[in-house]
Amino acid sequence: MNMKRVVLAFSIIFFIGMATIAVGQDSSFTFPYADESYTKSERVGAEIWFNATAGNERFFTYVYPQRLGVLIDWFGVLSTTERDYRFTRWGLINDPNCCKPGDPNCPAKSLDETYGFDYCPGDETLLNFVGQPGYEDPACSLKDAPLSDKDEHGPNDQRQSACDLRFGTSTGAMGIRKFPNPRFKKEQWVKVNNGKTGTWAGYNAKLQHKDSTQPDSSRVLDASVEPPFLIGLSCGSCHIAFKPLNPPKDPAHPKPENLSGTVGNQYSRFSQILGSGMDPRTIEYQVYGHARPGSVDTSALPNDQINNPGTINAILNFSQRPTFSHDIVKWHKTKQCSGDGNDPNCWCEPGREAKCWERKQKTEDVHQLLKGGEDSIGILEAIQRVYINIGTCSEESWANHLTDMRQLDPTLRGFGQTPFDIGQTRADCAEFRAIEDRLGDLGNFLFSARPTDLYQARNLKSNRDLIEQLDKEFGKGSVDLGKIIFTKNCASCHSSQSGPIDTRDFRARSKKPEDKGIRIDWLGNDQLTPVTEVGTNRARALHSNHITGAVWQEYGSETLRSKSDDPAIKEPSEGGRGFYRNISLLSLWAHAPFMHNNGIGPELCGGHGDQFYNSPYVDFLDEQNIKRMKNSPPCWPFDPSVEGRYKLYKASMHDLLNPDKRVPKVTLFNRDVVIRLFPKVSEGKLERFIDSTIVFPKGTPSARIGNFRHKEFAGDLVLSRVDFGKLESKYVGRYGPEQGKHVANMIRDRAKDLVKNPAFLLKIGAELREIYSNSLMLREDAGHRFGEDLSEKEKNALTAFLATL
Amino acid sequence: MIPIYKLALCSVILSGILGGCGNEQAPDVPFAASGESYASKVDFSKLERDLPLAPLDLMKITPESLEGATQEQVDQIYARLTAGPIPDGPYDGQAFFPKGSSGGARAAEIVGGGLKGFAVNIAKVKLEHIAEAIWKGKVFYRDQSVLRNRINDLSILKPFIGGETESLQKIDVDGKEAWMLFPAKLYCGQSLLDGRRESVIIDYAFTDDLPGYREKPDALAGREGLVIRDEIRMVRPGFYLGRAYMKKVFVLNFTLYNKEVAEKESANFQASGEVQEDCWVGPQRMLAKGK
Repeated sequence: MNMKRVVLAFSIIFFIGMATIAVGQDSSFTFPYADESYTKSERVGAEIWFNATAGNERFFTYVYPQRLGVLIDWFGVLSTTERDYRFTRWGLINDPNCCKPGDPNCPAKSLDETYGFDYCPGDETLLNFVGQPGYEDPACSLKDAPLSDKDEHGPNDQRQSACDLRFGTSTGAMGIRKFPNPRFKKEQWVKVNNGKTGTWAGYNAKLQHKDSTQPDSSRVLDASVEPPFLIGLSCGSCHIAFKPLNPPKDPAHPKPENLSGTVGNQYSRFSQILGSGMDPRTIEYQVYGHARPGSVDTSALPNDQINNPGTINAILNFSQRPTFSHDIVKWHKTKQCSGDGNDPNCWCEPGREAKCWERKQKTEDVHQLLKGGEDSIGILEAIQRVYINIGTCSEESWANHLTDMRQLDPTLRGFGQTPFDIGQTRADCAEFRAIEDRLGDLGNFLFSARPTDLYQARNLKSNRDLIEQLDKEFGKGSVDLGKIIFTKNCASCHSSQSGPIDTRDFRARSKKPEDKGIRIDWLGNDQLTPVTEVGTNRARALHSNHITGAVWQEYGSETLRSKSDDPAIKEPSEGGRGFYRNISLLSLWAHAPFMHNNGIGPELCGGHGDQFYNSPYVDFLDEQNIKRMKNSPPCWPFDPSVEGRYKLYKASMHDLLNPDKRVPKVTLFNRDVVIRLFPKVSEGKLERFIDSTIVFPKGTPSARIGNFRHKEFAGDLVLSRVDFGKLESKYVGRYGPEQGKHVANMIRDRAKDLVKNPAFLLKIGAELREIYSNSLMLREDAGHRFGEDLSEKEKNALTAFLATL
Repeated sequence: MIPIYKLALCSVILSGILGGCGNEQAPDVPFAASGESYASKVDFSKLERDLPLAPLDLMKITPESLEGATQEQVDQIYARLTAGPIPDGPYDGQAFFPKGSSGGARAAEIVGGGLKGFAVNIAKVKLEHIAEAIWKGKVFYRDQSVLRNRINDLSILKPFIGGETESLQKIDVDGKEAWMLFPAKLYCGQSLLDGRRESVIIDYAFTDDLPGYREKPDALAGREGLVIRDEIRMVRPGFYLGRAYMKKVFVLNFTLYNKEVAEKESANFQASGEVQEDCWVGPQRMLAKGK
């Protein structure tokens, strides 16, 4: 054997060896769902939930910065040298299976080996493929659960390859996954990073703008430099959190048994993470970068110009969650399609046998999901939609349907959203099929999640022992009295049982053997209540992505969209908008602060000196007179301990039941934002350039800008000059003859002012705000005043009782 | 809403310079029906599935015929192209605005806005000529992932250059001398029109680390100037269709043509449809090819 052959043979063995090592190396998913108390399907579902990005690493590496123009500083978030601060700074949960290179027992000895990241299981293979093609994803080794007997596409297993689930390896933060970048060029990387391999400090460097009022640039925007890793998110990135029943002693160093995949991370700061590469003096940062810990605006990417951060829902006892009858148009599994194969409503997957889908209208009982029940075609479809919403198939099927915020011409693509097409995505995107073919496993995993009782968290024998403690704390008989108050005042919305309310046992358990003692009351009826009745900040209820023509149209039912608009709301509310679900109060003690935006209760932060904390406390006279409060209440440092959660619960209950004592909250810009735009107005056939430096001053309410329909505003200003009749017709149609003409005249007058002095742009926008705002309400802690008239004793009693649920 | 961007048919400023006012006919290739509103445009995935362009279709398209197309037709062509190989060598360029568009006036306005902060008397600058200069001709250095623009008439850019011009790099293409300005980086990246596959990106934002960078006038195209970002896809060998953006706002279309490459490689392309793909093509093109 000559030398060449020896080398070749050795290389083959080496690569085969690496491929073998890759199989099953990443065991991070196995906790805490590896034991036999979970079914095989539930375990597979957990594995996917924890690890699968379904390809969104391309979205977060390429589409997000280049097309949407928002930058993530992944190294700033994930640098291994900052590992101990990830929780307090970003709310991220450290992966217990990863280590800092150079630490004792860590296989990696230097930062250069990992490009400055943690070393995690599977990296012994992955790191060899940085800058190389041919990486076999660990998802390829997933051992699927047996296909369900009821699967229409069975009995043969024709599921899409598990490789397309895309697991990569952990970055060291739970749910954030990394993949080797085959385009990486080490020589270029070292040059960009001033001769170093183990840092991204040159790649993510800030470049100061010569004009000090303008934001600095980030080198991340230079897409000619390919980073060593593509970074993606699994569902677990938001949903994995510390177990309320078994929190870690040190949140920076959790153990596997401290983690839950379904409780929801109420400390996570994904708004800040997703804007971490942006200069705080950009409008994107100031509108979207201040969401509270545990909340994120999930319609910031598929932007509908409604600034509405919402909490990550806890997933508990879903089998007891109410369902509702909806008329739905959606795809159903079938064995065959009739006709010549060109039916747009029926499609068979090429290369598979009898694996077909048919789109048809049916009436079905489904869950109402999201804050306002917008996801309403089925829970499995809702799970799949979340993958798309975090970037899966974004290039094949999503990005072209999103709004380009800079496109002001309504005749051009990108001016507004268009509906995402489920059928097209299924045909074109393997990652979609890989998830879709395993939605049953994901559903089984999520349905296995159970409430976390305070008595267990306190290591008490039973709820009776907890009641004793609570009665001691709140006064004798408090829990019993609290139950009476709850029954009378709250249970009509916050109970899912049928029959008379007065006799309900809110902690009753199912006696059916197959239910394994599950609590039968979901403690929320999930019905839709008009936001005007609840009174909480209505921006989230006015979310518009499921209305006809919007990006998630196919995920909303016809029943949802047939709801009429609410005449009590000034803003657009058609198409099923204007509602909040009556949510579950299961394990309420562990999930404060309250409301859809975590707005009622103390503000949370990472501790003293938290760079991201932007106090929302304001002196609030009315919506026009808002000033940042000088001596505002301090924020509460993250404390996931049992007593930490309990204290937060009590303080939040106090604020909930005493609305007049709440300190008003409105998120404000904490920097001046200077924007240079190139808008124009038209005078007849002449198009004029307007000098347009706009300054949004520090103290501007974030929602006021995020909710403003600037495209319609710009279009109307032009219309007022070129076709006033059309403008008048538009507003007469919207407001009636008298008011409509008044509004049209006002727009025309303001357009004239603008031509005289372009500096009036902001002032004019403010004057016309009521016409162009998608949500006028600014207070984030308002509403849900139910219970404010109870006596102090009754409020305490209710607080005590709810802690037992 | 009145299509304001179509009011001024062929800006007086740019007429005759950047095209779009002639009597050219749109390329004789299939297009999907489309209405006025953005919402009425055909989805590119459906377009490509229903009406994929064959090599023969692509051979019918010329830089001149594109000027007879509407913007929607130009977009529909662009979406059915792939990036192809990253070009190498000199290419002639031509910016154009589609039939019936007032894009010329718009481009001039945008250029004017971008010049603020450059301490230049905008009134004295013929804005349209700047656009013409930057998209007139390009030289690709494929191995270095760099591009430089061929400037035929330096006087247009005099207000931005300042100082001596002797040290400026020059090139001779077909016996014509041109100055080499405005370097850009080349890479495969996202299309801002059609995310279903990558385009070749010509990016001017971070060029100050390139050899030969000269702040005046190169910074004009850079991250503190007009923030120009071009994207191109290949119509056929030697012929690329491009879209130019400033600060992420679409400004104009342009073509790039290298006669030598076109003549050498077109016959093989027409026969086989095969072409080297340097960028991510996505799954839909393959489906279309398989039809």
